[in-house]
Parts: sequence; C-alpha cells; structure tokens
Amino acid sequence: MADQNQNNLGRRQLLVRGAKAAASIAAAVGVARWLYDPKGPGAKNEEVSFLGTLAKGLPDFSVPRKDGQVISIVKGQDRSKTVSKAIELLGGIERFIKPGDVVVIKPNVGFATPPILGATTHPDVITAVVKLCYEKGKAKKVIVTDNSINDPASCFTISGISKAASAAGAGVIMPRDSYFSPLTLEGGSLIKDWPIYCAPFAKADKLIGIAPLKNHHRSAASMTMKNWYGLLGGRRNVFHQDINNIIAELAMLVKPTLVILDGTVTMMTNGPTGGSVSDLKKTNTMIASCDMVAADAFGSSLLNLKPADLPYLAIAEKAGVGTVDYESLKPLRAEVT
Amino acid sequence: MLPWSLQIATVCYPSFPQFDIGIGGGYNNRLFLGAIPIKAGCGKNMHLISGRARTLETAVGVLILFIMVATAVGIYFVQRDFNMARFGIASEQGSGGDFPPVGKAETYNTDNLYEKIDGKAPMYQEAGFVKLTTQRFAAKNNSELGFELYVYDMNNAKNAFSVYSRQKRADVIDLSDLGASAFGYVAGNAICISLGKNYIEMIGSAESNELVDWMKGIAKDLSAKFKPTDKDRITELGYFPTQGTVAGSWKLQIDNAFGFDGLTDAYSAQYKSGDKAVSIFFSKRKNADEAKTVAKNYYDFLITNSAKAVTVDSEILKSAGASIVDFYGAFEIVFPAGIFVGGVHEADNKQAAEKGAEVLIDQLKRVTGEIGG
Repeated sequence: MADQNQNNLGRRQLLVRGAKAAASIAAAVGVARWLYDPKGPGAKNEEVSFLGTLAKGLPDFSVPRKDGQVISIVKGQDRSKTVSKAIELLGGIERFIKPGDVVVIKPNVGFATPPILGATTHPDVITAVVKLCYEKGKAKKVIVTDNSINDPASCFTISGISKAASAAGAGVIMPRDSYFSPLTLEGGSLIKDWPIYCAPFAKADKLIGIAPLKNHHRSAASMTMKNWYGLLGGRRNVFHQDINNIIAELAMLVKPTLVILDGTVTMMTNGPTGGSVSDLKKTNTMIASCDMVAADAFGSSLLNLKPADLPYLAIAEKAGVGTVDYESLKPLRAEVT
Repeated sequence: MLPWSLQIATVCYPSFPQFDIGIGGGYNNRLFLGAIPIKAGCGKNMHLISGRARTLETAVGVLILFIMVATAVGIYFVQRDFNMARFGIASEQGSGGDFPPVGKAETYNTDNLYEKIDGKAPMYQEAGFVKLTTQRFAAKNNSELGFELYVYDMNNAKNAFSVYSRQKRADVIDLSDLGASAFGYVAGNAICISLGKNYIEMIGSAESNELVDWMKGIAKDLSAKFKPTDKDRITELGYFPTQGTVAGSWKLQIDNAFGFDGLTDAYSAQYKSGDKAVSIFFSKRKNADEAKTVAKNYYDFLITNSAKAVTVDSEILKSAGASIVDFYGAFEIVFPAGIFVGGVHEADNKQAAEKGAEVLIDQLKRVTGEIGG
C-alpha cells in the first residue's frame, strides 16, 4: 500500500519535496558562506575604527621638505640604533609625527619566512620605529599592515612582525577583500581602476614605508619603491611583465611621510625570496629618506648596481617623484656602534 | 513514505525521466547504488514505466555511477597532492621523527605560483614549471626551529636542472650521495636538490647542525624515492672541456640566455686557465648552418646593444670565425663550432677569454664528430 502511494506521488507532493530539498541546499550554502573566511583574521575590534574607504586615491602623507635633511645614511649593525640615528639626523621623529597622529607603517611582509632570511622587513626595525612614534612622536595610534597575498597570518607570524608590532603597542591589520578599492593613477598607464589596498590608510595622518634591501629576479632590486607593490590587489603578477613602470607608478601613487631602507643585511642573490643565508651579505647600512628615488638610488650601490641598472628610478625621477642623484641632496651620514 | 533525505529533482517533462536520490528506503523501479537509490519516472505518469524508459533509466544510472567513480578518483588524486607521504616523508620521517609536519601541505600551479614566491615565479614558469607542493616541519621540542620543503615539479630533468643551476649559491657543500643523475648542495640553512623532474628546496629557519642533518636525511630519502634514471642525465654537461672546467659551476638557461631570445638551451660553466677564470658557454643547434645563424644573430644583438667590435688575436679563433666585442667593459666571444654555438660571457680579461674560447672550440668540434651533425 505504501509502495502504491509512492508510485502515485502527486505533483503537489513532488513540489513540496522539491522545495524542502532546495531549502536544505540553500541553508547549507548560506551557513557555509557565513562561516567562510578567505583571508583569515583581519583587523581586531580596536583597529576597525581606523579603517575607512577611499575613492579618489591615497592621501598625500608627505611633510614639508627641508633642504639638507632629505636623506640620511647610517652605518652600524644594530638596527634599533641605526634607524633611530637615521631619523634623528633628518630632524627627529617629531618632525614627521605630531601628537595625536594615526601612523600607518607599511613593511614588506610578502613571505612567510623567518627574519634570518632577509626576505621581509626585520622586526627590530618595526619595534624601534613604533616606539619612536609613540614615545617621541606622541602618536595616537600606530598601525602595521601589508597585503601579504599568501596566508597573511603565517606571513605576519613567521616574519616576527606581528609579535614585534604588538609588543611595541602597535595594531596589526591583515588584508581582507573589503579593504581594497579600485583606484586610478592620473596620468598612469597601468594603475587604472585597479584594486588597491587602502582601507587602513584612509584615516591615517602619516605613512612610513620600511623595506628590506633585496635583489629581485624581475626588477633587479626590491627597495622602498618596490615595497608599495604590496598595495596592489587582484592578480598583481600581471604587472611582472611591466615591472619598471608599475614600480614607478606606485611611487607616483603613494606619497609617504618617510621611507626607511634597511641595508643592515642585503639579499644579494636569488631575490625576492632568497632562502639561504648564503644569499645575504652584511652591508651594515640604514637609510632614512623623504625621497624614495634617492633612497633606492643609494641602495642600488649596496647591491653592486648602478642607478642606471634600475630603469624605474629614471621613470620616477622624470615623473617628479624624486632625484636619482642622491649626492646632490647632501646625505647626512653617521656611524653607530 | 519517502524518508527525509537529500533530493535532487529535475524539472518534470512528460517524456523526460526524473530522478530522486535519497538515503535509505526501498522503492520500486529504483536502481540501487549502495545506500543511494535512484528512481526514474515520467512526470505525473511516473508509475507507467515503459521499456524504453527502463533502458534509459539503466543507462542514466550507469552514467551517474561512472560520474561518481570518476569524482572519487579525482578526489583521490587531489588529496594525494596534499599528502607528503608520496614523497616518503610524512609517514617515515614525519609524525614519528624529531621534525613532524606542521599544518597541511599546499600546492600551487602556474596560475597562483606568484602567491607563494611572488617575483621569482616567472623564472620557474619560463623553465617549464608544472606544480609546487610545500610543507612545513617544526622540531617537537622547539616550534621555532624547523624548515619548509618545496617540491617543484618542473616536467623534466633538464628544466629542474635549469632552475637548480641558476639559483646555485656560492661557497656550498655539494651533496654527492644522491645518485648519478642528481645534484644537490647545502648552503648554510638550506638544502637544494635537482632530482629527476623535481627541483627541491628545504629552507631551514636557522643555521642549525641538527636541522641540516635532518634535512640531509630527507634528501637521501627523496633520492631513494624518486630514483632518477639514465634518461634524467644531463649529458650536455659532458661536452665541457674535462680539464679546466670548474665542477659544479654549470648553469643552464632554457630560454633568453644572456638577454638574447634567440639563444636557447645555453649551458655555461666556469673555465679556469692558470689563475684566471672565465665563463664559457655553448648551445646545441639542429645543424651547423643553424649554429652559424644563431652565432651571427647573437653578435648582431650585442652590437645593436652598444657593444664595440674588438680585434681577434688568436689564429684559432680567427679560423673558427669567432667574433669578440667589448660590452660595457666586459669581453664577449661568440663562434659557431660544428652544431654548436659557443663563446665566452662577461670576461674581464681578453687573453683569458680567448684561451677559454680556443679550448671550447676544439672540444665542441670533437663532440660534434662524436655525436654527429
């Protein structure tokens, strides 16, 4: 009898069952979507208030230029001491950070590799700069962020940057899809309606870029200008085919307060990932600069390159980003032990 | 009454079969696939099952069975990608050893390789990259001491050797016990190996003897697992002069050698004559005519890029039709020799460059005689 009823399944019953099945599937998909987190942890609650949206490009974070205090070069092995001295030579952190400022620090956290490999910004520099911002600059909040495309949580953890930033009191923001906005660089040929990582910068008053000094397979060198490559969202590898122009355009797009180039240890070969300590050379140099082009032009010498070997420097100089002739800026030099 | 179960209902057409897939139950006109019964019918007339419909029901049932089996096989192979046991690691060295795996293995293909190695991805892709599998390992007693294993499937031994040789560090300790067709070295915290079609890196988090010893053990296990064969042998390395060539200094550029896209499969090595060392290179072509053409094109490329022609002093080089240029202070020599294009790259000293070229010409002509062409 039951079988007969089954065989006489009516249209209404069929529709009811179909609706139940569809509802079950929809519910499962909805729950999965609700639980799905493609990027892992993003900003903590206390950092969310420092996120915002940008529609017309990144703000200009630069400070007024002071001739004779544009670039400093400090020799020494202790990163905390050399970076502090380099900033002091430019007028001290007080020149760049005002009480109550929200400061964003953009290190290179591109890889989930330990500090010993020199592929990411060294945590000691992060610690020193965060402390300077708080203690002498009286910053309201310091945020450390980067768009590490592959497993940001691992990148921030294994590089030691998350721990260093947190210990010094900075907030750490890791990328999420919603932190990107399509931006266009006026006059640019590559950055056109392209997703840029900008939510963490929207409410910032100051921006400091901190980059390690590295050889790079595609661009020959990765320094302060290349560091902004991390702001690119989407399938940013497409820009590897036009690496010099994209680096120059990023340098036109981003107007930082200060950049720091850490050449304490330089990755001479097999960049940008390296992998062996054999790729590294102790060059014991820290550079602080308000001029990215000048910083990178000097940095090229630590890689045994000439500025002419890095075409993006000339492109950026022509666009008015800075000067390749760093000696004309009369770099302030010092050595610390 | 049909039990509450997952049901997939197709839109009912009077003449088209409709299927219910449910867990449990036992109904007429159903094809059973384990616990999953599949029922066929024709819309509101589904109780009237014709012979044609039964045949169709069977055919569709078999099709579904095939799809399920194919899906299971597909899942197996995808899961296998994440299972480092296929390298003989996780099961033998992993959970029972001092450095067990941490987290899951990851795989990358040509589309997303840049997510893992960013700017270095093009080098691998240009050399024939297929797939990368990575896995982290950490010491049981110290989570900060560990290493990450990278296994790059480069499709063939030549491609694997190319990326191995181009990244080879200076001042390394060669690993000589990986088999005749394998290459490997220790560089501080890292071990790099070219093993058949795989290029393998183990990147340690510290310079630690304990860690390096453990990674060496894995290197031996991997070489036993992959067992490179004679077909993986890079025979071209034997074409370099036996005397004077610095062992282990070989490099292979598959494409775009020295910035010239016409120079492919270019092998280079350091050649030492007295206290001077120069980089010599060759590329095997289809025949002697092609070798002459490529040699001329490379010379033209150098001149176009501001190189200055320099007088050839060596009579051997003159008779071989070699050309020498000064390229921003470095000497470049290029010549055809049998089926080979050969030369010297970026030499500081012209005399040493000519000496290296003389030896290479003689060697490549001899090899041409041996292998034909």
